[in-house]
Amino acid sequence: MSRRRRYEPKTKKNSTFGLNITSMTDMFTIMLVFLLQSYSTSDVQIIPENNLRLPTSASMTNATESIKLSLSGDALKIDQTKIADVKNADFLPQDLEDKDSNFIKPLFQELDKIAKSETEKDKAHVKEGRILLQADKDLPYATLRKVMYTASMAGFPQLKLVTMVGE
Amino acid sequence: MRRARKIKIDHNSEFELDLAPLLAVMVKLVPVLLVSSAFIQVMVIESELPQVVSEAIQRQDEQKTPTNVAMEVDAKDGIRIIITEKGQQKVETVPLKDGAYDLRTLHMKLVEVKKAHPEVFKMELSPDGKVPYDTIVKIMDEARQARDSNTKFPVFDTKQGKNVETNYMFPEIIFANTMEG
Repeated sequence: MSRRRRYEPKTKKNSTFGLNITSMTDMFTIMLVFLLQSYSTSDVQIIPENNLRLPTSASMTNATESIKLSLSGDALKIDQTKIADVKNADFLPQDLEDKDSNFIKPLFQELDKIAKSETEKDKAHVKEGRILLQADKDLPYATLRKVMYTASMAGFPQLKLVTMVGE
Repeated sequence: MRRARKIKIDHNSEFELDLAPLLAVMVKLVPVLLVSSAFIQVMVIESELPQVVSEAIQRQDEQKTPTNVAMEVDAKDGIRIIITEKGQQKVETVPLKDGAYDLRTLHMKLVEVKKAHPEVFKMELSPDGKVPYDTIVKIMDEARQARDSNTKFPVFDTKQGKNVETNYMFPEIIFANTMEG
């Protein structure tokens, strides 16, 4: 008795199916254009601090390498290191000089340390005394003036105010 | 004679473009750009000026009795523009409007001051201790450049030997009362 072979449909073993990727390419092209538009060309990275709202300005000047100071509603920092506390939009009395209420002692000490440090003192921005100041937009000028005054006293008179683009 | 064989072209045929390599490039580019993108554009206010303007500032510094333009910002009275020329002071006041600083009037007055004194590029700013930082930045914005792109001011270019035009008004702003006790 001859065994009847079971019917098997013919299948191509090496067949592939074509995926339509046109719409996906469109999506990626749009993303690419958007990302190219917001590409950062500045050589200095400024990381916005928490609890700090920068004022907006029409200025379109990119930042240059400088000492980065940030003054928020609760702290004064150099880079990420806390220097002094801020309460009710002012510095604490123990951080200020007794005879000169504009002089912030810990800030002067820290800037003086940078200006005299072997590794930092030969850098162009330290020699020229450049400071990038990120300050909260609601702070009064009196608080900012204390930072400006102390920085000038420590040999950093070139102040650059960090602002955000937009109206 | 044998006729040349005509090649049949099917004008209705379609072919599929292989987009896979293009997609592969894009998939690699997107994360690279995502990392280096700035979603918040941060800039700084300072004086990186065109050569002609910087030279004009130098010339102003070299003058023995330069014309001085100063601005006092008071939380109660508004803004005072003080022009000192040949030892004589002229004061213009921009009072508060509905409890806020009248920035539009201030800008118009500053344009007039600049038109009268095109050689002056420096301005001394003395804000009151109570004035918020945000307001100071806005006032500086009004003073640095003319808002209207048609408003131009003449600057003498020593290289060309003639006047050129710029829309910079008072780009160099100095906080005059920082060192006061």
